[in-house]
Amino acid sequence: MRKPIRSLGLFLARFFGSRILDVHTGRVIDRALVVCFRGKVYVIGARENLRPVFEPQKRLTYWRQKIGFTVHEPPDFPREAPPRDEQ
Amino acid sequence: MNSVLNLILSHQSSRAVSRMLAYWSEYVPAGSILLAYGGPREEFDAIAHRQKCYVDDSRLRTSDHQREFQSYSGLFQQAAAFLATEGTAFRFVHFAEYDHLPLVADLNARQVQLLRAEDADVLAFHLHRVDGTNHPHFLYHAAEDRFHALWAGISRRSDPKVVLSIFGSGSFWTREAFLAVSSRTEPFRMYLEIYLPTLAHHLGFRVRGFGVQDRFIDVLGDETDKIEAARAGGAWTLHPAKRLWTD
Repeated sequence: MRKPIRSLGLFLARFFGSRILDVHTGRVIDRALVVCFRGKVYVIGARENLRPVFEPQKRLTYWRQKIGFTVHEPPDFPREAPPRDEQ
Repeated sequence: MNSVLNLILSHQSSRAVSRMLAYWSEYVPAGSILLAYGGPREEFDAIAHRQKCYVDDSRLRTSDHQREFQSYSGLFQQAAAFLATEGTAFRFVHFAEYDHLPLVADLNARQVQLLRAEDADVLAFHLHRVDGTNHPHFLYHAAEDRFHALWAGISRRSDPKVVLSIFGSGSFWTREAFLAVSSRTEPFRMYLEIYLPTLAHHLGFRVRGFGVQDRFIDVLGDETDKIEAARAGGAWTLHPAKRLWTD
């Protein structure tokens, strides 16, 4: 019974939520309901691995800043171990 | 001998395992299959396959895998012990769960080719970098104080905070990377989909994804009815096909 209720809740969260744009590229990366409550930001219904970041500002403002989201690049780290010996 | 060890995990009945192994033998040499069994002991004893090992590890037998931190460490250590008895015959290790099907006859050759093309040490499905994100498994581990300290203590990388996540089945390893990861003991409980790729990464190995093959690997559901469609669509493997050995 819990799973159908959870599925419905997530559907509603995504339906009433907003598109999540990558702060660096502007690309739509997800959809979720973002709610601030008791000093914390709740992200409900997201499917991607989102990273919260303060958005860079081209205009200096002291009274407000924005938190947005971005995602990691696909992992592509070079090898640091000694080269393998396949022979 | 084929240079790839196909390490297959099952917990199903001996009859189901026999059907599974017969199927696998059409795609890889039977001598390349090491069956790792996590079911009842009496069923294990009834399995005729010569290369088999019984994994007597409570960390493997979890019901809520993520919350109970399911581990393949004991399983990998048994496979590493098997590798040691075989000399250097096997240069690569392919790990698959019982419901992960091979669909192409040259599967191992394709895996080796992709590994070399990526100049990688490990290939895995659904590879993601998850540190600093809302990824539930990452956040669950980040609540453990020792988690980040562990990687900082062993990492060969300039950034010890990197955390990777993969899908548990279907990983493909060089022998060196597999043995290096298997030789480590988990200092505290971690979920295999976080622990294995992150450990390999911080030991200095290059971990890469399977690219377009990801779309044939679902976490939930049952793809048993979609085998031919997947094959026609270019799948090398398909997951999950849960009813194939028991129906």
